[in-house]
Amino acid sequence: MKHLVKGVVVIMLMGAFVACSKKDSNGDTQVLAAVTVNDLPADTIIGVSPNGQPYGSGRFTLYSLERNQVVSNVDSNTNKWDIGFRGTTVITNSGTGGPGMGGGFVFVGTFDNLKSVPTDSTIRVDAAPSAYAITNGSNRGWYVYNPTANLVTPIPGRVLVIRTGTGKFAKVEILNYYRGGVTLPASASDDEKTRKQRFYTFRFVYQSNGSKNF
Amino acid sequence: MIRILFIVTLIGWSIQLGAQSLDTLSGTADEVVVTATRTERKLSNVAVPVIIVSNKIIERAGSLRLKDILQEQTGLFITNGFGAGVQLQGLSPDYTLILIDGEPLVGRTAGVLDLNRLNVGNIKKIEIVKGPGSSLYGSEAMAGVINIITEKPAGTKLDAGLRYGTYNTFDALTNASYKKGAFSASGHMNYYRTDGFSIRPFTVERTVAPLNRFTQQWQFGYSFSTKTKFTVSFRNATEQITNELGVTNNGVITYSKGREENKDVNINPVLTHQFNDRVKTILRLYNTTFSSLQELNTTGNTLYSDYLWHQFNRIENQTDYQASKNLQLTFGAGQVNEYVRSTRYDNVNNKRSNDVTYGFTQADWIINTWLTVIGGLRYDDNRLYAAALSPKLALRAKLNTKLFVNASVGRGFKAPDFRQLYLNFTNTAAGGYSVYGSLEAQKVINELNRLGQIESLEADFYRLTNLQPEQSTGWNIGIQWLPEKSWKFNVNLFRNDITNLIDSRLVAYKKGGSQIFSYLNVRNAVTQGAELELLYQLNKYWQVQAGYQLLYTADLAQLNEIKAGRVFTRDAGGFSRLMKRSEYFGLPNRSRHMANMKIGYEHPKNWFANLRAIYRSKWAVNDIDGNGLFNSNDGFANGMLLVNISAGKKWKNNLQTQVGIDNLSDYTDVFNLPNMPGRQYYLRINYTIIQNKNK
Repeated sequence: MKHLVKGVVVIMLMGAFVACSKKDSNGDTQVLAAVTVNDLPADTIIGVSPNGQPYGSGRFTLYSLERNQVVSNVDSNTNKWDIGFRGTTVITNSGTGGPGMGGGFVFVGTFDNLKSVPTDSTIRVDAAPSAYAITNGSNRGWYVYNPTANLVTPIPGRVLVIRTGTGKFAKVEILNYYRGGVTLPASASDDEKTRKQRFYTFRFVYQSNGSKNF
Repeated sequence: MIRILFIVTLIGWSIQLGAQSLDTLSGTADEVVVTATRTERKLSNVAVPVIIVSNKIIERAGSLRLKDILQEQTGLFITNGFGAGVQLQGLSPDYTLILIDGEPLVGRTAGVLDLNRLNVGNIKKIEIVKGPGSSLYGSEAMAGVINIITEKPAGTKLDAGLRYGTYNTFDALTNASYKKGAFSASGHMNYYRTDGFSIRPFTVERTVAPLNRFTQQWQFGYSFSTKTKFTVSFRNATEQITNELGVTNNGVITYSKGREENKDVNINPVLTHQFNDRVKTILRLYNTTFSSLQELNTTGNTLYSDYLWHQFNRIENQTDYQASKNLQLTFGAGQVNEYVRSTRYDNVNNKRSNDVTYGFTQADWIINTWLTVIGGLRYDDNRLYAAALSPKLALRAKLNTKLFVNASVGRGFKAPDFRQLYLNFTNTAAGGYSVYGSLEAQKVINELNRLGQIESLEADFYRLTNLQPEQSTGWNIGIQWLPEKSWKFNVNLFRNDITNLIDSRLVAYKKGGSQIFSYLNVRNAVTQGAELELLYQLNKYWQVQAGYQLLYTADLAQLNEIKAGRVFTRDAGGFSRLMKRSEYFGLPNRSRHMANMKIGYEHPKNWFANLRAIYRSKWAVNDIDGNGLFNSNDGFANGMLLVNISAGKKWKNNLQTQVGIDNLSDYTDVFNLPNMPGRQYYLRINYTIIQNKNK
């Protein structure tokens, strides 16, 4: 717990390209590449309050899915970013989150099976503090918190559908919440759980052509 | 918080040999069972699965606490949260009724009645009846009934015993009995203490804390005539537990002292009258009070204090009528008044109460030489919850002299407990959350809402209504086969369909995000499996006994989610994929396979030795993939094998000695079995001061 993680983290992210892309006979449908982002810090713990609550600097880490890079907080009031992370809270560039054309919702299913945004789905916009587009809270949106083990685990089969700051679509699967991309064992010390949490590993597909197909 | 603690000590099991050697396995030997039908009945005529553990089995081996002996019985799984509880046919400890001489014990924590509260020094036998018993016993008897039958005054005798073992575990007991004319009396005293232990390295806190327990029981009997008898029993048990804890905060370790004190008092007057050959009536009064205080102190400041006081009063009459040679009828009725006070509720001075009025009847009909039918029905009218009707039907068929078939189906129920109605608990640490009982929740949340402190009400808030009893339907079909005198074989298939299970659900969010939980009847589950028991008498000296239980469990809502394709897990690469039905493991903390094996040797010159092995396969403990249920990708406790051995001799001069080793292989599991100690040794001496002459 005494371990402090410095506020500004200079880590950067490896975009690992996995998929291949090919064109079908018509040439207009592309199988888009999934990109994996490792260990994105999201308001990591910098101290512990006298009553034992760990805290961070309180800032969101803003990310551009279009450009696959972190966006400085200076640009928070622009449409340059698409998704933001602070602890377990995920924001979109919409409503209370930002001035962009963003929004989103949590889709139940696998990443690969989400081939297009269902036509009957509602794109939500952020309305902090109670109604984020990506619903916040344990077992309500993308993660579950186990108080016995003191661990946060992304729920499998949850895909974040994100409408970006510029109104394009992307799908995001959060894979892990701990540094190194591996959830700690329940037996790990609380100190280690505090130090290593709030590091997102996720993969995403960004559709640049404005359609809802991935 | 102070853990509720227990000592895993020993032992014990031994084997009866010689003429009555087959008595150890339930089935055919003609021991008398009272729990299965509430009337004395030969075990060979009981149509439901029963295990009888005789005092000889317990005594000769030197078990100390009830848990020690129950863990060696087929199909009984000892759980270790909030004390040692017993899981029967895959149902949690909440659903097994525990009786002493037919009267229930109270003082459950989170549904668990700690089996370490009970010493076994004056037990005549333990009857374990599997399958729903609510048609005779009402609430809690969903999975089964465990009835501890204590020694009654018989003749004049006096004996004493001492046992000393690892962790400075010391146990002393004495039993006395006196009888003159119409008057009889008996006394039992037991003192138990231990240093406790910690199998966690580098911690001050002991997983089992130093504790001492004192139990006494006094019974008096007076026969007004051969037909009328009065008995009264007093039992008093106390338990003191202390523990030191080191709490680390910002690198500073604060030492705290935990203290726990539990008291249990039972008073049970019983009047029995035999009107004639056909009619017998029993009037029973019962009062029991359990109180528990837990405190955590740091240099004079009380950081935490928890108090529970629970009183249970009952009056009951049971009348047995032998209508004809082949038909016995039983009628009963009674009234229960229960009171609870606790710091866990809104105000510790506020006494909560509940009343139950009930009636039951049973017909036991020997139809012909090979078929017996037993039918029973009970109605419980509960002031706070909906009433419950519990029927049961059981058959026993004798196919030939070597083959018997039992079949039974019954309804069981468990009334919601006080905690599920009145709990008022807020945890300020860990982000802050509150749990309210269902009656309390609506009141508190509506008030908070009025004050503008509620952020959002969840769908489950609107489903908060009066809680219903949890219910089950249990099926048991068994075969007993006695191919030869030296062999015995039992098979029992069981299935329990459980509905209306009460579980906590998120009902609201406070401003600031802290969660509010309450209780709802939301879950349905099923447990099913098979039990096998085998007894083989090799020769005059050696006997082998083996037991096995296969168990499958499922939460029906989870099964539906899986079938609907809404449950996922992760592949090796960490990506989500659909979870298959075959990956589902069922309910946590349950082993698919449990087995025990007992090998006993007995020498005619009063030597004996035995080896008892208990195995349980892996059980689910941790939902690692976060999908809300337990599947093969999750965290399991390793399967384990526990081996206990013991040997002893009875000397000519009324002296008995015994030595034993528990957990011979020194198996420990720091994370999943923190309450299970490693290898332990013990030595025991018993001395009969006055031999029983006029039994």
